[in-house]
This record gives sequence, C-alpha cells and structure tokens, in this order.
Amino acid sequence: MTATVPSNTMPPVSAPSRLPDEAACLQTVARLKAAHEPRVVVVGNPNTGKTTLINAVAGTNLKVGNWAGVTVEKREARLTVQGRPLLLDLPGAYSLSPHTPEELITRTALLDEAPDVILNVLDAGNLERNLYLTLQLMDFHVPVAVALNLVDEAREKGLTVDAPALARVLGVPVIETVASKGQGTGKLLSTALGGATLGIGVRYPQAIEAAAADLTARMAELPTLPPHAHRYLALALLEGDPSVRGRLSATGHLPLIDAADAHLAALDADGIDALIEIAEARYARAGDLARVAVPRAEARRTLSERLDRLALHPLLGIPIFLALVLLVFRLTFSVASPFVDLIGGPLQTTLAGWAAAALAWFPLGRDLVVGAIIPGVGTVLSFLPTLLVLYLAMSFLEDSGYMARAAFLMDRIMRGLGLDGRAFIPLILGFGCNVPAVSATRTLERRSDRVVVSMILPFMSCSARLPVYVVFAAALFPRAGSWIVWSMYILGMAVTFAFAWALRRTSFPAEGGGVLLELPPYRFPAWRVLWKHAWRRTASFAKRARTTVLATVAGVWLLLALPAVAGGKFATVAPQDSVFGRVSEAVSPIFAPLGFGNWQATGALVPGFIAKEVVVGTLGQIYLGEQAAAPAPLSLWAGVQGAVTATWDTIKTSVSAIPTVLALPSLSTDTTADQKTPLAQALAAAFTPAAGLAYLVFVLLYTPCIVTVGAIAQEHGRRIAWLTVAYQMGIAWGMGFLTYQVARLWL
Amino acid sequence: MGERTLNALRPGEAAHVVDLDRLHPLRRRLLELGFVRGARVTVVRRAPMGDPVELRVGGTDLALRAADLLGIRVRE
Repeated sequence: MTATVPSNTMPPVSAPSRLPDEAACLQTVARLKAAHEPRVVVVGNPNTGKTTLINAVAGTNLKVGNWAGVTVEKREARLTVQGRPLLLDLPGAYSLSPHTPEELITRTALLDEAPDVILNVLDAGNLERNLYLTLQLMDFHVPVAVALNLVDEAREKGLTVDAPALARVLGVPVIETVASKGQGTGKLLSTALGGATLGIGVRYPQAIEAAAADLTARMAELPTLPPHAHRYLALALLEGDPSVRGRLSATGHLPLIDAADAHLAALDADGIDALIEIAEARYARAGDLARVAVPRAEARRTLSERLDRLALHPLLGIPIFLALVLLVFRLTFSVASPFVDLIGGPLQTTLAGWAAAALAWFPLGRDLVVGAIIPGVGTVLSFLPTLLVLYLAMSFLEDSGYMARAAFLMDRIMRGLGLDGRAFIPLILGFGCNVPAVSATRTLERRSDRVVVSMILPFMSCSARLPVYVVFAAALFPRAGSWIVWSMYILGMAVTFAFAWALRRTSFPAEGGGVLLELPPYRFPAWRVLWKHAWRRTASFAKRARTTVLATVAGVWLLLALPAVAGGKFATVAPQDSVFGRVSEAVSPIFAPLGFGNWQATGALVPGFIAKEVVVGTLGQIYLGEQAAAPAPLSLWAGVQGAVTATWDTIKTSVSAIPTVLALPSLSTDTTADQKTPLAQALAAAFTPAAGLAYLVFVLLYTPCIVTVGAIAQEHGRRIAWLTVAYQMGIAWGMGFLTYQVARLWL
Repeated sequence: MGERTLNALRPGEAAHVVDLDRLHPLRRRLLELGFVRGARVTVVRRAPMGDPVELRVGGTDLALRAADLLGIRVRE
C-alpha cells in the first residue's frame, strides 16, 4: 500500500518498505478505536514522560521506557468519565512524517480518529525540538492543549520555564506538570477538555502557502478526505512525505498527487526546496517560541553529561557495559535461584505429599496430580523468580536510558553484521527469554533487520536452558561445571553472530539507509513503575507458558502411562514399553552419531521443543519415574511448618547473596559440585562426557520453545517461523555431531 | 574557516549547519530533529571504536555514523 510514487522533483526517499503495512496500522487504530472511543489523543516526542503522565492521570498500568522506541506494543490507557472512555495514548513520535512503525500508528490515528482534542506532551528541557511536533499538530484542524512536562528536570538544568508566556504565544492552554510526582496532573484533563484551542500555527513562505491553499481547495471537493486533516495533508504532500503519497495514491487520489507534483516542480524551478523551507519555517517559529518560554538558559553541566563521560568512556565504556550485563545475570541467578530451589523442592514436595494423602482413595487421579499437574505447575512457577529479577534489571536499564548507550557502544560491532547497535538489545534480552526478545525486534526500523535478528536470537541461551546445563555439568563435569555452563553461552553467541553473517550474505542482504541513535537524558526510574512493568512481563510469560508447559508435562505423563497393561492396570507399564518410550526409540537412531541414540535422551528432547523448561523435568520422569510418584504423606501442620522454615531460609539465602554479586565473578562457585542429586547420578551412568556435551550443544541450539516460534510467526509470518525451526534443527544436529566427534578424542 | 563536512570536526568542536546532501539517507529525519540551516551542532564524542559519533543539536543528543556525517556541511 505504501509503494513509492516516483517523482521528478524529489530526491530518492528512504524506502517506505521499512514501515509495516499501512493496512495493519489501520486495523490497529480501528481496534483501539472500537475498544476506547477516544476523544482525547495524547501525542508527544519519545522520552517526554508521556506514559508516566497518563499513568498519573488515568492511574492505569502502563509501560514506561526511557529508550527511544521502547513502547514495543501499544499500551492502552483507560480513563472513563461518566462511563465513556476518554484517552488514547499514542506512541512517541518526533514528527508526523513517519520513520518508525510507532510514528506511523500515531500519524494514522491522527488522520483517522478526528479526535476532539490533542493533548500534546512536551519535554520542558528540550522545547525547541518538541515544539516542532506541536507546530506540525497545529496543521491539523483540531484543538490542542499542552502539558509542559519534566519541568523539574529543566530547572535542574538551569532553565527558567515560563508556561504562561508559552501559552500566550502559542495560543493554547499550557499546564506545567511533573508527571513522576503527580504535579499538575490534576487539572490537566479539565483544562485539556475545556480550554483547548486551535492555536497559532506556522505561516510558511508565501509560495508554499499558495501551493498549500490550492491543494486544500482541491481537497474540499473530496468527501473521502477527513476535513480536519486537509492542511496537514497538503503540507505533507509538499514535503514529499512518502507515506502520505502512498496512502493517497492507494485510495485513488492520483489527481491530488499530480497537482502536488506540479507545485513542487514550479517551486523547484524557482529554487525553492519545499521540504527544507517547511522544516526551516517550523524551526524558526519553534526557536522563537522556545526563547519566550525559556527566557533564561544557563548552561550547566547536567548529571547525564557527567555519567556519560564514564559510561561512554573510550576505554572504560565497553568494559563497564559488559560488567553491567554480567552483574545483571549474576544478580538474577544468585537472588532468584534460592526461590527457584524452594519452589521446585520443598514446596512442591509438601504439596505433593498433601495431594497424595487427600487423593489416596482415587489412585489414578492421585498419580495424575502428583506425577503431572504439580510438577507441571511447579515448572512454570519455578521460572518466575528468575524472570522477575531479570525483567526488573532490564527495565531498570531501559528506563534509566542506559540501553540507548549500550546501542551506541555496540554499534560498531553490529555494523559488521549489517545491523545497528539497537539490534544488540533484543539479543541481550534473549539471554533472559527469547519471547520478549522477539517482540523487542519491533523497535528496529528495517524489516530485514527485524527478520534477521528474530532468526538469530534463539541461539542466545535463554534462562530456560540453564537448568539443563547445570544438571548435566554437575553430573558429568563436577570439577569444570561452571566452565561448561559458561562455554554454552559463548557458543550460543558465536553461532548467533556467525549465522547473522551468513543470513546477510544469502537471504537477507542489509538494506541501505543511515543510522540514527537517540541518546535520551538519564532518568532514575520510579520503583513503582519498574515493579509494575517487570511484574506484568513476568505474568504474561506465566500466562503464555502455563498452558503449554502443563499440557506437555501431562501429555508426557500420559504417554508414559500408556498402554494399560493386562488386567486394565493403568500407569504401571515400564517406561521403555510405553507409547512414549517406543516412539522415542524409533526416532533415537538419528542421534546415534551425536552419542546419545537412546530413547531416554531422545525422549526428553521432544517436550523440549515445546518448552525447554521441561527437559530436566522429563529426564527426571524418565530416569527416576517411580520416585516422583510416591512422596511421603505429611500431616498438614508438619507441611506448613516445613514450608515456612524453608521459605524463611530461602529469603535469608537470597538476601545474603546480594553483596556477593558485587564480588569478582568466580567461575568455580556456582554449581553444586559436591552433592550429586539422584538425577545427576542417573545421568552420569547414562551419558559419556562427550555425549553429554553433545547433548548440551543440541539443547542450546535447537528450537528454544514453541512460544518463541509462535512469536516469530506473529511478527514475520509462518514461513519465516518454520524456516527458523528447520535450520535450527539442522545446525543443532551438525554442531552436536561435531562436538561429539571432537570431544570423543579427548574425553 | 570555510565549509567542511561534519565528519571533519573533532570532539568538543561546534559549527553551524550549511546544508544536507540532497541524497542523504536521513535528510528528512535530520531536518525534523533540527539540522536546519544555521543550527549549531556540537560533536560531543566518538564511540570507543571510533564510530558512531555523538552530536548535540538544540537540546538533543543523538549519534550518527561517520559515513552519514559526510553529507552534512557546516561552517565556522
């Protein structure tokens, strides 16, 4: 729909293929509109505290990010007045000539919504650039009200902010706000709804105003074009905005485009470049307005500048970045792992004991609950502490503005892959969980970048794979366990980069076009917002994982229990004679060259395709089958006592682990080398070290989970998703084969 | 001093925009962010590996790759 329309007066423009299908955006807007019937749309530059402001006004649970483009999914603000929804939060935009999917959504919503009021949020510390958007908004025939936000930050910078003066010269109400402290947010809505006016927009140079007047006169005869947008559309045509041209040509307004081209040719003949004249006219007025609103501007070295001297230091910058990443992962594991153990161990055992006692009269139900449902739920729950801590740390880095610095630091490295520094962030998120990482690729501008990053990032070892490494490392490499775990992460990264390189040279060559990274000022994120944000992400993971993991564990249990042996006794069949065992047996020769061609090892990989979380659980079910099914029944009181004691010990362990996070990382302390669990003993007996290593490599590289595949399909279509699955299996097998054959020579 | 490309400036130096190359891949966006004629641009620093380059225009800090600085002509 947004095909480029050739023009003899415009220089080649960046390909609109970067942007998603406009039809998709229209659908999004239609969906939002159906959901909210918004009357006020909230528009502002990225990083103006817009979402925090809406949060303060509407009190809804919205995501706030201080990394340009962090609002990956649309957040919906709900504020009802007399039962009617009122506010629609639009993604951050620098201008209404869209360059990013977010900006396209914002622009499309403004065109199609015909909102009653535009509430424009400005960063008081960066007025000139923010007012550029304000002036563009005033080209719409819609009343505007302004929230002058981040006033506190501007004062810290040494700026004097005069909101009444700005209101006078802009001709619209201006309310000073400090959204993070809730200042000024109270009267914002009443002012926005009651006092919003059309304001005093830009007078463009005479030749451009004449051309725009002619175009708007033509539009007046076209009922298909929204009247509130005529002037905006005319100016966008004169600016040569490719998305507006594409939209108008797709909706059959070719005469209008021809007329615009004729004007552009005439202007060009007079030596007038309309794009530049329009931008200059807006900036001239924005500059004048800013000088009135901020009469005194002392240059004061800001905290951001001081922090950046360290964070972006020529020698220290990258080591600091790597140390921070390491710190995040150490924090995640040392703070969260005691809770993981608690959920997977004492709590689960206690619960299983009670369930076994309560269901003693109904053996089949007892076996299902104790053997499948409790372990299944336990698997999902035991992931939540890790994810919560990881998401908290990631949200902190995003919301504080550090992620943008990471993109700046890593850009040169990513350039070799035809990517830019921003692509590093989904890759890092991939260490936590591939699913949010795939969603985070939406922040990349070019489609080929989004596809390449989505296809490579499953090789980044997500936290669900770690338990497999830990169990095998403890079982087979008790003295080098940490190094084995570490090398899995490194191997995953190496394959990620190698594969990106290969994809670039074959299927997805890098698109041209410049790279622009914004470096927003550092902000200390509000803990409440961080917590909400991390909690929401964790909960959405739990929701998504719950069904698949539970179904998988129950399914494996069922397949292990079938067929019923003679006499109708259910769940008494030996594992190797079960349906599960026989199917795994049939498939297992494929893995013989990798050293683990037996049904048990192969069997555990099958549910791993659905979720890596369950590989260890399935190994346990297979190797220790009967043990899990017969927990000792406990009295209620003993169970509660045990659980409380265990929880208290866990909290103590977790809290006392915090200081050790800051200690130098030592690779020899984290795995439990001394005491071997029953599973570790079983694995040590079943795998040679070389086969174990090959198994780990295979687990690292094959499809991480069905949820990730689903996320890729959602972002890029099924074809890409299945392609990803196919080559991951191929690479996993190949690398596993190589590992086994090489490792056999030494181990 | 005459006209140079922005790439020729060292960290800490500032200059005024003369124009953007008509074929600059970021022309439209740079105009919107304030790279209009006469705007003062400061080169803040280069990234540890020499590229990209942090710039300040108006109150905005942003980074461009050195290759994209070649199309921005500045004066003084």
